[in-house]
Amino acid sequence: MRWYLRLAACLAVSIVASVALTPMQAAVRPPKLQYQITTLPNGLRVILSEDHSTPIVHVSVWYHVGSKNERAGRTGFAHLFEHMMFKGSKNVEPESHTSIIAGVGGQSNAYTTEDITVFWQTLPAHYMPLALWMEADRMATLRVDEAAFRREREVVKEERRMRIENQPYGRLSEIIYDNSFLTHPYKHPTIGSMADLEAASIADVRDFHRTYYVPENATVTIVGDFDSAQALQMVTQYFGRVPKATRPVPRDIPTEAPMTRERRVVVEEAWPLPAVVVAYPITYDGHPDSYPLHVTSKILSDGQSARISRELIYNRRLCLTAFGSGNITEHPNLFYAVCIVQPGQTPEAAEKAIIAEFDKLKTGGVTEQEMQRSQNQWARDYILSRESNEEKAMHLAHAAVIHNDITTADGEFDIFMKTTAADVQRVARTYFNDTNRVVLHILPKGTPR
Amino acid sequence: MRRRVLLGFGLLPGVLGVGFAVYTSAVSAQVSNWPSEPPPQPLPARAVKFPPYEVRTLVNGLQVITVAHHEQPAVSMRMVVRAGSIQDLPGKAGVASLTGTLLDQGTTTKSSEQIADQIDFIGGALGAGSGSDLSFVNVVVMKDSFGVAMELLSDIVRNPAFAVEEIERQKQQTMSSLQVSAEDPDYIAGTLFDRLVYGFHPYGLPNSGTPQTLAAITRADLQAYHKRNFVPNNMILAIVGDISSEEGFAAAERVFGAWPRAAIEPVKVIDPPPSARRIVIVDKPDAVQTEIRVGQIAIPRKHSDYLAFDLAVKILGGEGANRLHRVLRSERGLTYGASASAEARKETGDFVAETDTRTETTGEALRLMVDEISKLQRERVSLRELSDAQAYLAGSFPLTIETPNDIATQVLNVVFYELPVEEIGTFRERVQRVTPDDIQRVARAYVRPDRLSIVLVGNASEFVPQLERVGFSDFEIVPIEELDLMSASLRRGP
Repeated sequence: MRWYLRLAACLAVSIVASVALTPMQAAVRPPKLQYQITTLPNGLRVILSEDHSTPIVHVSVWYHVGSKNERAGRTGFAHLFEHMMFKGSKNVEPESHTSIIAGVGGQSNAYTTEDITVFWQTLPAHYMPLALWMEADRMATLRVDEAAFRREREVVKEERRMRIENQPYGRLSEIIYDNSFLTHPYKHPTIGSMADLEAASIADVRDFHRTYYVPENATVTIVGDFDSAQALQMVTQYFGRVPKATRPVPRDIPTEAPMTRERRVVVEEAWPLPAVVVAYPITYDGHPDSYPLHVTSKILSDGQSARISRELIYNRRLCLTAFGSGNITEHPNLFYAVCIVQPGQTPEAAEKAIIAEFDKLKTGGVTEQEMQRSQNQWARDYILSRESNEEKAMHLAHAAVIHNDITTADGEFDIFMKTTAADVQRVARTYFNDTNRVVLHILPKGTPR
Repeated sequence: MRRRVLLGFGLLPGVLGVGFAVYTSAVSAQVSNWPSEPPPQPLPARAVKFPPYEVRTLVNGLQVITVAHHEQPAVSMRMVVRAGSIQDLPGKAGVASLTGTLLDQGTTTKSSEQIADQIDFIGGALGAGSGSDLSFVNVVVMKDSFGVAMELLSDIVRNPAFAVEEIERQKQQTMSSLQVSAEDPDYIAGTLFDRLVYGFHPYGLPNSGTPQTLAAITRADLQAYHKRNFVPNNMILAIVGDISSEEGFAAAERVFGAWPRAAIEPVKVIDPPPSARRIVIVDKPDAVQTEIRVGQIAIPRKHSDYLAFDLAVKILGGEGANRLHRVLRSERGLTYGASASAEARKETGDFVAETDTRTETTGEALRLMVDEISKLQRERVSLRELSDAQAYLAGSFPLTIETPNDIATQVLNVVFYELPVEEIGTFRERVQRVTPDDIQRVARAYVRPDRLSIVLVGNASEFVPQLERVGFSDFEIVPIEELDLMSASLRRGP
């Protein structure tokens, strides 16, 4: 089912709380993750977490580089480079990484975000040494071949066409970010622009590998059915021989100046229904305000009884789909609400209704019942997102890499449980103001204005 | 969880064969003294045991599966009804789908908003919907809300209100969604392909209906469909997570035990048409890519050839092998992804190869896809290629039983398709027993390269000349705004 149909299936109803709601005590506390973390002499960080329930193991390597590290004129390069990591290394033939892992019954892949690039494999536990050996091989000795590079660039251009250009609303995120940032590289999409992809060269590939794919910029996480002492010995054996980088990893990323007045933009796209976006710059992941902002996302959009779902979709039938949530990342990002406007309704009405929801958070705050609901939903997400080895590895690596503090992988639970209605109102007043608001109307091509 | 834009490398594996370098050349070795060495030996293999589960049938015929798993303090309930769009009557496509979306929108004693308030407040999640052969309600809650959740599940499944206001609301949502889908090349390609393969058999029509069929659906249609199909002896319930088996069965008995069984009418549908070569192009002049689907009718899930055929199609375009990925992506950079899958459903099935490529390379990509399908049918697969596909399918079995819900899915599958439950335990052995002769036999039996259904959605005027250059002619072109799946000509009538 397509995303808009799926979202359309999520409806909500009026605000009358006529169900007997038994106030619950603090949500069920999930078990804490057990792990050990260690750093090799070359700077590589290693996280190990044993789970013997299934004879499989998940191995990931997080490189602390994403599209926000790209320089002007090279947007999309971090992701293009991710693809180049499958082009072989000294002991591994080009294009064979995935098939080698599949040949032992494993799965592998990689992804790039604005902040990180992640390579992973989940495989039968007894093949853990193979995964570690292959990851170390490409960290140390990537093959760089001109013809392979050109071919892969075409693949990435197809990926851009597929994900962004050839489906309704595919460019939505790109339009939001391009209009909300002026200098910080979050302005550009992780997939990059066609022109910049075309401009990328083989020299860029070598330079990027030397600069960012070094042990001190990498975190290896292993979760599953293994023995920690043996795993650490193997990580040391294969990754330990990758030399320490000779220069520090650059972190000079331009910052965004605060907004001082509202920005309004009207554009046209070949989409069937109009979209309205209201976006506010917010803080970074791990800032004390980020936790009430997460709670705010739940109050507005988690479940059919959440405010935006109930009011904009269900009660007023303004939007085919609508949500408001924070994209909380390593650097300050955005909190934004989107409404895909129902036929017969206007973008102006949708904008007014969205802004009214943000204003209500500031003036009326949130109820204790909403706080309890959000915390219970948070606990549910927390528990259900720690079922598989891959999910556990993501939480551990995220805490270590983005927060630079692995204890947040568990510690965040208590922070959320202590967040209050006053905190939510305070951050709403801090961030949701009409002087730092971006309002976008994206209209179907040829809409009379 | 944090919302993220993720750009992945793609799920499909690369080339076949052993990929370890035996020589050192053309390497940009950043580390000059890096050893040239073979991969490490695996550790001793560990035993793979399917985790414990139980299946019981209540007196009223409801099949109940329990999977006890105590790592996380959550319980999920998955109710499957053996009814979906295959039960939609002629002219009423969308009844099963609309019923699915309305299940949690009010019961005879609870309004839609009361249900939402209740499930959200306890930090649960609830979803209902339908496909071609089944409908489902999924609930997940923390363990201390298990009893509440079972009561709610029972109410939703047994007593939906189908309030007129809610029907209208859901119809509007579906209509608007269809308006968006009508401009989505991926959706159009998928639904049109099904329509070509299955004709006016319900598998050939969009689950969610069309604007015309939706308008024709009445409250009485929904009630009649629900009454006929939502009966305990037509349903399966899986209870999974942090409870004991006995607690699970006792709760199922408590909330469903008194529900009487009822007669179930067998499905009566027209046969799909025999496969015939048909190429349909949907012209979308502003498209920058062409969505391509190629395939034809094949076999249902409960067919003795299913496993061999699934492996054959995986060699064409699945994990562990994937000729299409190698030829289209790795060797030529024509696409981000190319794959093929055996879509084996309850009554019958199909296989479909799919990709998307830029307008300028549409002809080349289609030619390569059709050639690979012909090759699969014509040439015997090598033992090496088959064993790679087998190694993945058999070897990855432990990855498919990792979480409680993974385990439940395995059991639900065999119960739903009425396969022997022992099949779970013998899966790996059965995969390994398939021979190149088996692959050749099923490929010859079910792949007919001269009778493929082919769909292309894209900028027709740009790529039609390419098609002719690579040997395709005799195609129909339908402008996107005139496409009508309910019409024999696929075009809106005058």
